[in-house]
Amino acid sequence: MPLDTSTTYPLTRLRLDGRRWNELRLLQAQISTNPASSGSSYLSMGNTAIMCSVHGPAEGRRGEASGSAGSSGAVVEVDVNIAGFAGVDRRRRAGGSDKQSSRIATTLRSAFQSHLHTYLYPHSTISIHVSVLSADGSLLAAAINACTLALVDAGIPMPGLLCGCTAGMSGSASTPKDPRSDELDPLLDLSLPEEQELPQLTVGTTTSVPVGENNMDDEGEETKVAVLNMDSKLHFTYIETMLAVGMDGCNQIRELLEGVIKESNRA
Amino acid sequence: MSNQRQASSASQTPHLSPAELSYLYTSLSLPGSPIRPDGRSPTQFRPLTAETNILPGTNGSARIGFADGTQAIVGVKAEVERTTLSADTLDAREFDPNHDRESQEGSAAVSGHGSWVQMSIEIPGFRDDDALPVFLSEMMRESLVGSVGADESGMAGGLKGRLVINKRWHWRLYIDVLLLSQPLSYPLPLLSLTTHLALLSTKLPKLKSQGEEDPFFDDDWAVAEYLYPRSSSTLKKSPSQHVRPPVTLLVISVGDNVIFDPNREEIAVADAVLAISVTRGEGGGLKLLSIRTIDPPSRLTQPGIPNSENVNMLGATPAEENALTQATGEEEVSGVWRPRRGGVKRSVVANMVRTVLKKGGVGEEVLEGLEGVEVV
Repeated sequence: MPLDTSTTYPLTRLRLDGRRWNELRLLQAQISTNPASSGSSYLSMGNTAIMCSVHGPAEGRRGEASGSAGSSGAVVEVDVNIAGFAGVDRRRRAGGSDKQSSRIATTLRSAFQSHLHTYLYPHSTISIHVSVLSADGSLLAAAINACTLALVDAGIPMPGLLCGCTAGMSGSASTPKDPRSDELDPLLDLSLPEEQELPQLTVGTTTSVPVGENNMDDEGEETKVAVLNMDSKLHFTYIETMLAVGMDGCNQIRELLEGVIKESNRA
Repeated sequence: MSNQRQASSASQTPHLSPAELSYLYTSLSLPGSPIRPDGRSPTQFRPLTAETNILPGTNGSARIGFADGTQAIVGVKAEVERTTLSADTLDAREFDPNHDRESQEGSAAVSGHGSWVQMSIEIPGFRDDDALPVFLSEMMRESLVGSVGADESGMAGGLKGRLVINKRWHWRLYIDVLLLSQPLSYPLPLLSLTTHLALLSTKLPKLKSQGEEDPFFDDDWAVAEYLYPRSSSTLKKSPSQHVRPPVTLLVISVGDNVIFDPNREEIAVADAVLAISVTRGEGGGLKLLSIRTIDPPSRLTQPGIPNSENVNMLGATPAEENALTQATGEEEVSGVWRPRRGGVKRSVVANMVRTVLKKGGVGEEVLEGLEGVEVV
């Protein structure tokens, strides 16, 4: 049995793990998992599992707080640690950090630095610690969702939930899109084997919660893209489709995360 | 620099004044019945929550959370590796004509090798090569690997021996420890208990090949075998089924008292901090594996100044005749904190070991408690 999407998908219209193109993996999440931090969360999307803890806003370490950014608002620090046992094969990182985790950390830092209402906490630091317990694709998207939950748990104000999701195409998509025979389907929420062979992008969107008078009309909620990351190569005609599918996935995830947050308030 | 030094001894010491240290020391060293800040008895542990098999991608995993919020996750991964005889074994064979080739190879391949177990500890805020993670991982690895070295006959009991598949192949075990929060107290007990649980839940695929064939495993995970075999019936156990991975307990002594599972404040006034590793041997009895002393942080504290030496109090205290001897500062004044120097009495160490090892003692209690954690 061939174990790649590009040969089996056109035949069955089912992906390797049996999902259809627009289905998310099972998403489970918990908040307030670690009482020793200001906010913490556990999130699993399929076999990807992430724990996140937030400390702060607190007074920054000496030397760092003296920077220019420290005076106007809080500084977000992100530390990503991919456990040695996260992948299929045990991997030891040389020298304390590898390329993948530092890239995720940089993306998360810039995303949340501009997303959070940091101006409320001048001269302080919000440090986010992300531990990847099990890596099975969509790491960045899962990390964004876990961080959002932990930051909500920590009570740090933000305009809306920042949710991430991945989208890809079911083939290499290197030639222009042909409107008559549309062979390729966009795929939602890629797993690791799919991520390795197919072009994919990660999109993170946020909504501003309607306040005041806008609360009444349904059109008040507008979705904004806050994070967009793409490493692979594909023809530009496909990007619009992938983006649309990814943003739709973000909306689905947002509903799930809202459910988690409401559930935890009830308990 | 000073930060690092404190971290490499027994974790960060809380900022307590000499008067507070003295008060704590006095109440902990009350003869017979120490009074602990949180009201526990000397051998009582803090409450904890534990679960195993939380990560489907590992051979064995566990999570333990202490009530103070510190949490650790351990994942164990195993890989098959070809056994290569080390250079010194080969050399020994050349120079020693009395031993024939077979027995040499056999002993190297049957007994296993300490380097087959690798351990790494991640503590937030520390680099991999900082003193604390390196020291902790070596301390825990040594008791794991060493649990076999002593007895030459029954290698089946120890971890190294279990990793042998046949003369040419063996398992390599990677133990990754993840501390999820800043170490509030010395993290050794937490990490050791979590590692113990993870190893208890570790399963290796069932071997289908026989003898010296290249290893070939059953791909049904349901029939995988525990690294440390467990049996539901307590009546008939083969000797190797008693063997359990080691547990390292942190014990402190204050005066003549022996106190288990100390919290941060208690460590700060300890006369001596000892890490005692015990395991369950083949007979089912407890076996002492190692004792390590840990640099007690009380050594670095500031001493209190008795009134007789305090310049501000010169007029207030009645002039004493022995002011000269007091001024040397070597004498113990009751109620005044003095950093602990000069080790611990033999009888106290003996008492610690006895409390851990005796039947129904602390060691047994801990091992039974961990055994009780549901391994699904």
